[in-house]
Amino acid sequence: MSGAADREAVFPTRQSLGIMKAKLQGAQTGHDLLKRKSEALTKRFREITRRIDEAKRKMGRVMQIASLSLAEVTYAVGGNIGYQIQESARSARFRIRAKQDNVSGVLLPAFESYLTEGNNDFAMTGLGKGGQQVQRCRETYARAVEALVELASLQTAFVILDEVIKVVNRRVNAIEHVIIPRTENTIKYINSELDELDREEFYRLKKVANKKQRDTAADFAEMKKRKEEREDENQAPEQEAQAGPADILAAEEDEDVIF
Amino acid sequence: MTTSQADFRDRQFLAVIGDEDSVTGLLLAGIGHVTPPPDNQKNFLVVDAKTDNAAIEAAFERFTTERKDIGIVLINQHIADRIRHRIDTYTQAFPTVLEIPSKDHPYDPEKDSVLRRVRRLFGE
Amino acid sequence: MEGLLFNVNNGYIEGIVRGYRNGLLTGTNYTNMTQCETIDDLKLQLGPAYGDFLASLPPNPSTSSLAAKATDKLVSEFRYVRANAVGSLAKFMDYVTYGYMIDNVALLITGTLHERDTRELLERCHPLGWFETMPVLCVATNIEELYNSVLIETPLAPYFKGSLSHQDLDELNIEIVRNTLYKNYLEDFYHFVNSHPDMAGTPTAEVMSELLEFEADRRAINITLNSFGTELSKADRKKLYPNFGRLYPEGTLMLSRADDFEGVRLAVDGVADYKAFFDAAGLGGGPGGPGNMAGGTGSDGRSLEDMFYQKEMEIAKSAFTRQFTYAIVYAWVKLREQEIRNITWIAECIAQNQKERIGNYISVF
Repeated sequence: MSGAADREAVFPTRQSLGIMKAKLQGAQTGHDLLKRKSEALTKRFREITRRIDEAKRKMGRVMQIASLSLAEVTYAVGGNIGYQIQESARSARFRIRAKQDNVSGVLLPAFESYLTEGNNDFAMTGLGKGGQQVQRCRETYARAVEALVELASLQTAFVILDEVIKVVNRRVNAIEHVIIPRTENTIKYINSELDELDREEFYRLKKVANKKQRDTAADFAEMKKRKEEREDENQAPEQEAQAGPADILAAEEDEDVIF
Repeated sequence: MTTSQADFRDRQFLAVIGDEDSVTGLLLAGIGHVTPPPDNQKNFLVVDAKTDNAAIEAAFERFTTERKDIGIVLINQHIADRIRHRIDTYTQAFPTVLEIPSKDHPYDPEKDSVLRRVRRLFGE
Repeated sequence: MEGLLFNVNNGYIEGIVRGYRNGLLTGTNYTNMTQCETIDDLKLQLGPAYGDFLASLPPNPSTSSLAAKATDKLVSEFRYVRANAVGSLAKFMDYVTYGYMIDNVALLITGTLHERDTRELLERCHPLGWFETMPVLCVATNIEELYNSVLIETPLAPYFKGSLSHQDLDELNIEIVRNTLYKNYLEDFYHFVNSHPDMAGTPTAEVMSELLEFEADRRAINITLNSFGTELSKADRKKLYPNFGRLYPEGTLMLSRADDFEGVRLAVDGVADYKAFFDAAGLGGGPGGPGNMAGGTGSDGRSLEDMFYQKEMEIAKSAFTRQFTYAIVYAWVKLREQEIRNITWIAECIAQNQKERIGNYISVF
């Protein structure tokens, strides 16, 4: 029987029935709360997802513009500056810092970009030719990277929310499909066991009562017999023989009534 | 989540794996950083036709796992394609891996790991 | 007088170069190119002019490979002309390549400074600036060795000697090194065309002076504009100005004192052409201001650089109106370079889907 396995191992006592009932109550409240949390998170999640989708599409455009401004640099400088740029990179001017955002108890980090002052690795790039394009290209790319940082925040939020929602949903489902049915099963089991005990007890009591009654009847008959014996010590013994069988019959009749 | 909270405070750099033009552009924006000697670790990798996939994976590994000061890893989509299995199995929140278009390879939303997850989740 | 004997040695070259000049793309070609939807279309349009060189490109090539192939054509034509040149024309053409050589050496210096394997850099070098002994420079592992090999092995030795020591290579920004070399180169070239017996007093000297003076002025103005906001001091900046040109000496002196865009404008006021450029570009407020080529905000205005390029092309074009002059070789190289830039730009606009700015090319034919 599957029901037997799907309950907790408790002794079917009234005390554990009480505990189980309290547990069921708790599970239901928890379920409601978690469900609500999951819904709130999912709502936020969908919103973020939509924004990611938009931002990713927008990014394509932003990066194209940035690429074109790099093409402009190549055009103006009249050569490829890639190598020189790679070699003169020293210290990041464009950095990020993380801050936190609280959504229904979940801390979502968000990146924020900032520019550090004073370290300009490429100030002289294109000094003789194309310097203005280089500066403009830097601005364009800085704007593009800002957009990328924003997208990265969204994506981090997405990954974390995804994880959190999975956990919450797992909990909701666990409560809904495992804990609640199991607790209910346990309660049912305890109840049936208790009923069984009740019936046994009732039968036992009945049995005891019956026995008592029979004993009383027997005692009574004994006493009566002795009394009669004492009275009729001198009377005819056949009379005694007559009364005996009649008594036994009556007793049998009594038993019949009971069962 | 508890570990990442303490974790991301120090993450203040971006890293990039890309073709020469993308890297040049992003470096111009000022994200380039070379750690002080003796390490001299760069936070960027220029990939061309000659770079083998192992080198890309190694750089990806270094930026995402070893270095604790990188918050965002930018990677060109066509390069991400070359190590797609690594990207697809990467699920950490930090650092964030972001696929970006390159000059010669326009952005294809169908290939993006995250967008594909988005689609899958909503059964689109 | 110069016409009497010019053709003895140089008539063939002149004919060839004039032929090449006629092969340059014209305004109609450019108009057709801007109509292209894909790089393949563009390739088709370039077919007549570049045929063989583009044949090996894959379908829808990247803009950089397109540019590389276009450069290949220029290089092979240049090498052909150079191989046929004799005497002072050969020397003249060597001078033309020195400019590219400076860029290559600067690249190698950068690589050596950062202890990279400079052999990898060889393929990044501009082919026109290639000289036979260049691989030798890659053997150098430190700056002092490199400095010595540059002095011994390259024609650039005079430009290093006297103005740069090997410590300078180590300490100065590579851009300063590059611009110092370029200044020395321009001055040397200028001196060469005006003093060599074959050229002095001929149309060559005349046209080349104009071209070089323009180049010198452009560099001086650009260096000044681009140095604002950097650690380049005024004294150092002054050292980078070539000592000739239409601005020299008064304009150059004023440039060296300029603190902002306005100062530069005052400095160039004496030359009508530059004044006109600045008046046109000045509305934008100069570098860092709302530049007209700022990313994405496509506008029809042209930047200062654009106008300089335009002017250079016009001077180069007019060089062809003169006869018996070496200057047409220089002018042809410059025109062809601009053509490559135009092609790259158009290809880039097509590839990045930014058609609204596709018209920013410079065509003088």
